[in-house]
Amino acid sequence: MTEFPTIYSITEDELDLNDLLEQITLPSTGAACFFTGMVRGETNKDGLPPQTEYLEYEAYIPMAEAKMEQVAEEIRERWPAVEGITIVQRIGRLYPLTPTVLIACTAAHRDTGVFEAARYGIDRLKEIVPIWKKEVGTDDETWIEGEYSPKPGE
Amino acid sequence: MNKISVLFFATMRDHIGQKSISLDVPDKTNVQGLKSVLAEKYPNASGALEATLVSINREYAFPEDNIPDGAEVAMFPHVSGG
Repeated sequence: MTEFPTIYSITEDELDLNDLLEQITLPSTGAACFFTGMVRGETNKDGLPPQTEYLEYEAYIPMAEAKMEQVAEEIRERWPAVEGITIVQRIGRLYPLTPTVLIACTAAHRDTGVFEAARYGIDRLKEIVPIWKKEVGTDDETWIEGEYSPKPGE
Repeated sequence: MNKISVLFFATMRDHIGQKSISLDVPDKTNVQGLKSVLAEKYPNASGALEATLVSINREYAFPEDNIPDGAEVAMFPHVSGG
């Protein structure tokens, strides 16, 4: 049986989406679902600066990579038809329009759960992977904090 | 005594004013006990220490969990990647 590729990393480098797709495309692959997030330059939400100059990301890298591996394992348990999984977070100072994160899942067909698997991946990353960002506007800066409290065993 | 290191990230680093510290704590100190020790050392951070998430050796940890000798403890706010 082919070993399915699992790629997870924290990086300061630009995300090369084509290359990351190639790494999880197998001869048996017929479908890929990609979620990528980018820095939003304009936000209409209370409490955040409406104009974002940049986001400053940081991570507790060894734990973040271990938790990414755990998220990939959780995806494989729930959607065994998923072939390749990529979970990559870029950190450092990132400006609007820049992709910051990629969750991608591949499978033989689109009706195998790849859409749900990628959605699950980004949701879990935002719950348990230790990464933080600070939003820097023209004249203020705000740490963004999530809400999820991990439970024992997570 | 157990020798441990404590890492601080994001707002916790701002509150404590350092990225990491080394500490000797009595055997069987748990997470809640460590928070009390730190709150005495860094009184300005006592509120933040109440609310912080904690990991021991890169796994999430909880108030009653004991901290083993040589542990790498980390304290940080709720995560916000993506």
